[in-house]
Amino acid sequence: MQRQMIISVMAKDRPGIIAAVTGAIFELNGDLADLNQSILRGYLTMILIASFDAEVSVDEVFANISAADSNNEFDIIVKPMQSTLETGAVTLPAKTYIVTAQGVNRSGLVYGISSFCYQRNINILDLSTTLTDGRYTMILQIDLSHVESIKDLRDDLDRYAQEAQMHVMMQHYEIFRVTNEVTMK
Amino acid sequence: MLRSDQILATVEMIQKENLDVRTVTMGINLLDCRSDDVETTCYNIERKIQSLAENFVPTCDRIGRKLGIPVVNKRISVTPIALVGAGYNRAQFVRLARCLEKSADIAGVDILGGFSAQVEKGLSESDREYILAIPEALAVTNKVCASINIASSQKGINMDALAMVGQTVKDLAENTRDSGGFGAAKFVAFCNQPGDNPFMAGAIHGTGEADAVLNVGVSGPGVIARSLERLIATNGAANLLIDDIAEEIKQTTFRVTRCGELVGRQVSRELGIEFGVVDLSLAPTPTVGDSVGEILHIVGVDAIGAPGSTAIVAMLNDAVKKGGIFASKAVGGLSGAFIPVMEDAVLAEAVGRGELCLEKLEAMTCVCSVGLDMIAIPGSVDAATISAIIADEMAIGMVNNKTTAARIIPVPGKEAGDHVSFGGLFGASPIMPVRNVGKSSRFVAWGGRIPAPVHSFKN
Repeated sequence: MQRQMIISVMAKDRPGIIAAVTGAIFELNGDLADLNQSILRGYLTMILIASFDAEVSVDEVFANISAADSNNEFDIIVKPMQSTLETGAVTLPAKTYIVTAQGVNRSGLVYGISSFCYQRNINILDLSTTLTDGRYTMILQIDLSHVESIKDLRDDLDRYAQEAQMHVMMQHYEIFRVTNEVTMK
Repeated sequence: MLRSDQILATVEMIQKENLDVRTVTMGINLLDCRSDDVETTCYNIERKIQSLAENFVPTCDRIGRKLGIPVVNKRISVTPIALVGAGYNRAQFVRLARCLEKSADIAGVDILGGFSAQVEKGLSESDREYILAIPEALAVTNKVCASINIASSQKGINMDALAMVGQTVKDLAENTRDSGGFGAAKFVAFCNQPGDNPFMAGAIHGTGEADAVLNVGVSGPGVIARSLERLIATNGAANLLIDDIAEEIKQTTFRVTRCGELVGRQVSRELGIEFGVVDLSLAPTPTVGDSVGEILHIVGVDAIGAPGSTAIVAMLNDAVKKGGIFASKAVGGLSGAFIPVMEDAVLAEAVGRGELCLEKLEAMTCVCSVGLDMIAIPGSVDAATISAIIADEMAIGMVNNKTTAARIIPVPGKEAGDHVSFGGLFGASPIMPVRNVGKSSRFVAWGGRIPAPVHSFKN
């Protein structure tokens, strides 16, 4: 019986972090499933799923990764996974839209748009934001499966944009896919 | 997840450049509607169009809303009506036109094309009746468009039909005198007319097509113009070569075509009707900022018609094709840049300033689709001269193995320098002077056929 764990590591970026973490997992005979990593202005964060033999504990995994951290700079979280791992291709919901919001930077912008989504039962599937020359750009990939009327939502979003003094656009994900990818399914 | 810069580039295209799908046109085969009497034929036509196109307009609108890309025009094209009405007389053809108008109204489409005939090599008696019916048929209907193929690279130019067409244009304009000769704006003569073109007035559902298909016309020149402006503003003109301009046009066309393809495929899937082609034509509208002329300005001629204009149009036309062909599963129709004078505010202005003349337009049509389009000329120009202008345009298509067309409006009671406006998508323009009027009648009077050109020894 295998047990799956979800592991998250955050550290100041330098060569060797992924080798250290995956090496520690390999030592415990762990098998990697999905892994995602991202670097934000010099900081690396990674999240991964690995499966271990039943006798390997969460603490052991934590300890082994900590031991691999020679500079003592990793922030590590290890948790057992509640449900079994879903396999196969991950498909986006049919009503996946992309919202872009741009405006002058100030605090509360991400909170504003994410609350807007939360109030309408809209799940944010992906989010990235950038600050350039005092202008803040947010790109949200959202799932509108629980939204009855796209038109009403657009009207709401227009009102929100006006109040927040942001330039907000919402387009179906397919538009972005077909205009940027070579293959067209 | 796509990269942020890719997303922002697409957003820019959609919001700043008014990306839309210009037209989705449903082609419908009417050959099986024919009965021995005209009333039954009309009944069958109405029933068939209604059954196929019932959900057409709402489906296009719904998908446009879902994707956030409006489908501006919803249209129908039908089998050339001279085939459906073979053996009918003039009055019966007019009856068919009324029936098509009614069907277009019921379906809620903007325009219906296909009141058409293909007579590039010869005219039957009923083809003649059909041509004679055109001036009345288009005057008593609003949405019906007519087109006639009088020439092809394979068959030559039918000079008998050509002579009739010049007179038809005159009669059409005269029959719609109150609206500035608007009837002539709904009639176009072709060489090498395609059977899958979604754009009006020349859309037909060709005989080689399936029972019903959807053809899509993509967004217009405004998208290209804005992307070029952005490229030049970002990099500075001094740091760009003309190949960079061509490359930008190509890449923008790829994106635009993809959007058309996406909308077309989804409408096709929902309606259960085969998806035909994407037509890559850059079709301007009279709206400011949606002009092919503007692209010529951006690329470097200060007056449309100035030396260099033809070369720019050639490059534009080619870049559009290169970008679009890869973006779509099937490309067809006319697929090139249109230069319809009345429908393009910048071209119309150039006519008013005397910068753009008929001869230069004719030269530009050698390197782009689709021909002398939407040109308002003095109402006093005689039928033979109009036929001869059309003959020159047909000759360009015939020799170069390309589609060319002529849509010329002799505006009754107006002379060069006066102004005519049809409103909406048909636009407005000063009347363009025509030189050497009345000097081609001996040529037009010959009748017969200009033989097809040789297809080898191309130099």
